[in-house]
Amino acid sequence: MNDRQKKIRNFSIIAHIDHGKSTLADRILEYSNAVSKREMEEQILDNMDLERERGITIKARAVRINYTHKDGQEYVLNLIDTPGHVDFNYEVSRSLNACEGALLVVDSTQGIEAQTLANAYLAVDCDLEIVPVINKIDLPSADVDRVRKEIEDVIGIVAEGCPAVSAKVGLNIDTVLDAIVENIPAPKGDENAPLKCLIFDSHYNAYLGVVVYVRVMDGTLKAGDKIKMMSSGAEYDVVEVGYLNALGLEKGEELKAGEVGYITASIKTVSETKVGDTVTTAENGASEPLEGFKEALPMVFSGIYPADGARYNDLRDALEKLKLNDAALSFEAETSIALGFGFRCGFLGLLHMEIIQERLEREFNLDLITTAPSVIYKIEKTNGEVIYIDNPSNYPAPDTIATAYEPTVRANIITPTEFVGGIMDLCQDRRGTFKDMKYLDASRVELHYILPLNEIVYDFFDALKSRSRGYASLDYEFADYEPSNLVKLDFLLNGEIVDALTFIVHSEKAYTRARKIAEKLKENISRQLFEIPIQAAIGSKIIARETVRALRKDVLAKCYGGDITRKKKLLEKQKEGKKKMRRLGSVEVTPEAFMAVLKLDDSEK
Amino acid sequence: MKNLGLYIHIPFCVKKCNYCDFYSLGCPSHENTEEYVRALCTHIGREGKKHRDKIVDTVFIGGGTPSVLSENSIKSLITCLKSSFNIAEDAEISIEVNPGTVTKEKAMLYRSLGINRVSMGLQSVNDNELKMLGRIHTFDEFKSSYKALRDGGIDNINIDIMYALPNQKTADLIKTVDSVCEFEPSHISAYCLKIEENTHFYKIKDTLCLPDEDEQYNMYLTLCDRLEKMGYEQYEISNFAKKGSRCVHNLKYWLSCEYLAFGPSAHSFVDGVRYSYKGDIKEYVGAIKSGQEPNKILEAEYTLTEEEKIDEYVMLRMRLADGVDTEKFFSRFGISFIDRYPKLKKYEKDGYVIHQNGKYAFTKKGFFVSNFILSDILENI
Repeated sequence: MNDRQKKIRNFSIIAHIDHGKSTLADRILEYSNAVSKREMEEQILDNMDLERERGITIKARAVRINYTHKDGQEYVLNLIDTPGHVDFNYEVSRSLNACEGALLVVDSTQGIEAQTLANAYLAVDCDLEIVPVINKIDLPSADVDRVRKEIEDVIGIVAEGCPAVSAKVGLNIDTVLDAIVENIPAPKGDENAPLKCLIFDSHYNAYLGVVVYVRVMDGTLKAGDKIKMMSSGAEYDVVEVGYLNALGLEKGEELKAGEVGYITASIKTVSETKVGDTVTTAENGASEPLEGFKEALPMVFSGIYPADGARYNDLRDALEKLKLNDAALSFEAETSIALGFGFRCGFLGLLHMEIIQERLEREFNLDLITTAPSVIYKIEKTNGEVIYIDNPSNYPAPDTIATAYEPTVRANIITPTEFVGGIMDLCQDRRGTFKDMKYLDASRVELHYILPLNEIVYDFFDALKSRSRGYASLDYEFADYEPSNLVKLDFLLNGEIVDALTFIVHSEKAYTRARKIAEKLKENISRQLFEIPIQAAIGSKIIARETVRALRKDVLAKCYGGDITRKKKLLEKQKEGKKKMRRLGSVEVTPEAFMAVLKLDDSEK
Repeated sequence: MKNLGLYIHIPFCVKKCNYCDFYSLGCPSHENTEEYVRALCTHIGREGKKHRDKIVDTVFIGGGTPSVLSENSIKSLITCLKSSFNIAEDAEISIEVNPGTVTKEKAMLYRSLGINRVSMGLQSVNDNELKMLGRIHTFDEFKSSYKALRDGGIDNINIDIMYALPNQKTADLIKTVDSVCEFEPSHISAYCLKIEENTHFYKIKDTLCLPDEDEQYNMYLTLCDRLEKMGYEQYEISNFAKKGSRCVHNLKYWLSCEYLAFGPSAHSFVDGVRYSYKGDIKEYVGAIKSGQEPNKILEAEYTLTEEEKIDEYVMLRMRLADGVDTEKFFSRFGISFIDRYPKLKKYEKDGYVIHQNGKYAFTKKGFFVSNFILSDILENI
């Protein structure tokens, strides 16, 4: 290995949510003067508002840090940030593949959580050197020794003598930097071999086009080179290469094996630069790509409609803009009789879905109506055809189905022991198959279940939190498609099917679910001058029924002392409400009614 | 000469009721009320000069509780009104009183000043309900106050009652209605309790057990029915009168007639302009004393567009059992009523609206969902 490579350390920080990953990243940048105090924005790596509010990192970022070690040598530390949620597991694994080591941050007041484990296993799978960092030691409830022991017992790595810090107050940060230099191996790779760069992230910039974040595994790359994406074969001319420093892009001459940096090549959308893909040279390139590339496949689908139908085009523009930076988001136009024109959108998971919905509402100022999240069902038809259904309304007639399959996930739940009973009941209720149970220590248990994904997208997370007073944590990954006895459940208002409310459910669950939703609809449909029957149906069979009784009395305003403003206000309010209503045949329904049926309170079950 | 109604707001009460969100101050001191009446008189004198060309045919002294005013105060107020405006000989002059704040002497004074109609806030004959509403009086106190009025020579009396009270059943309401009828007042107003913001009830609204929509509907029907049997004609959503005893002043509000109002939070409608004063007695008294223009104390002022005038006319007239006379409508606005509001035909078919003798009016069932229907048909409110 040459001297240049010997002085490089590529590492990630992994942690359970809220264990202090971003704060530690800030302190490292600050300590090594990668960014001055004045320039320091709180948590510089998480630079989307939403990330900062939710305390999670949505997209990976990378920063190059120059650090003088106590041995007097100057090192280049590349910190590659990773998304901190299960929905982005694949992206996390690609970021980890760009590194030789990972700091595993564990909150000394909490200990190991579901994502701590999931991330640690991912890091082990990527052959990374794991450096535990015990955080929040300034808090009175910190128990460093217990957490050290837990790390050794549960994950099986040495935690004796690992850094114990408080990222918040900046305590012992130097020991973390020392550990990075001393414990994480320098990158291997041959700068004279054919080029192989791993794409671990990219983002769209209005001036430069797509900025591709890469780790050079082998070879050397410079501006003017012709490159090729190995998954698609698409070729581009490199315009610029450089490093990623804390405050932006720093143009460089070339990128060599072991280094982390960026490429621009007049690329128009991030969907051309897929995370995990290998970049090589168009001529004399590598013969084999790097291992592990997968297309990011959406697992959860939902219809997104503008509350105001006139804003359909705004919604489309907004989705296109988000898509520029989010290859995992998919969308296509669809029409609903109930909701008008909108889009069927695909997401990696529930959090991804929530983030997209929130960004649409917040950054693009859109009012949305979203349908209940659905998964992709695989249907073998009696004529031998196999189809995949992402919109419940398109579910085929029962007599044309030979076998229906639904996606299942491997779920990993960590909980304090006192809640195990309630959580097992929940998993049972959600058609889970118990795999095993492990005690992490005397007070905490790890449960493994195979669960149908369609039960998870349906308020599972909320139910889990409410049954564990917020303490249980969840992590899941796609397992398989399994045969299932599914039915399509329709809802009718005043005798007409409301397509936006249709969903697919396991036949044993159909009745309870139908009743609950019918009740919820009843609560959320305001009375009109006639009676409105609400029916839930499987095919032509009605399985639940409620009635919204006719309106008989309004609020009557006085016009005391000639003050007619009260009366006017009442009428205005009523009109305002009316404007927002969606007309479904002869019935007017507020957008809230659609939303209300999406979330059923667990306590009511 | 044009007619004009006058409204005088007396924003004082012995104690604020739990449901009331009108502008009023509890526990007034004698000095405060005297000072306020002086300011009112100044204001009335000033405004009177601008309206010499009009005949005042109704005066309504409301509140608050106007009967908390001293005999001197009420005397100077009426004297001032008479010297500032052309008040018709046969003008209807009403005052609101609360049980427990009126004596035979006061009633005789009112009579001698020309006050010929008194509106009493009873609300309920059940002392528990009265207490829960935060009223200061009992039913017995009402009885003696009512007798004092009669003995003092007041024979045109309105009694206010309320329904849909917390825990109230239709049977409780019937008791109130029947008891009230025994006093044979010439007029009865029956209001449905509405929980308004900025009231005590609003604060505790989650603990209140209010009758549901269907029960309220039953109460309303029962009430209308019983009053009708006792000879009270329902001439407006909430108002019932013996023959010849409709409240002329209140009718002005619903018939889009002009009225001029005095006092903080008071609303006026003159020359197609609606305006109101801020609900702040200090500011009001201060502004009047220092001779400032009334626009200093305006809360809102709005000139109606032609379209709004039409819709407002309909909104208000439809509160009346007589509804809208299509011929009068046409001669006032030059357009056909049903062409402008074609949706009414649908409501007529369903029994919410009745069309007879050239008039469109709500049926009883229609009155109760009038917001729903009006918000559907009126485009310019």
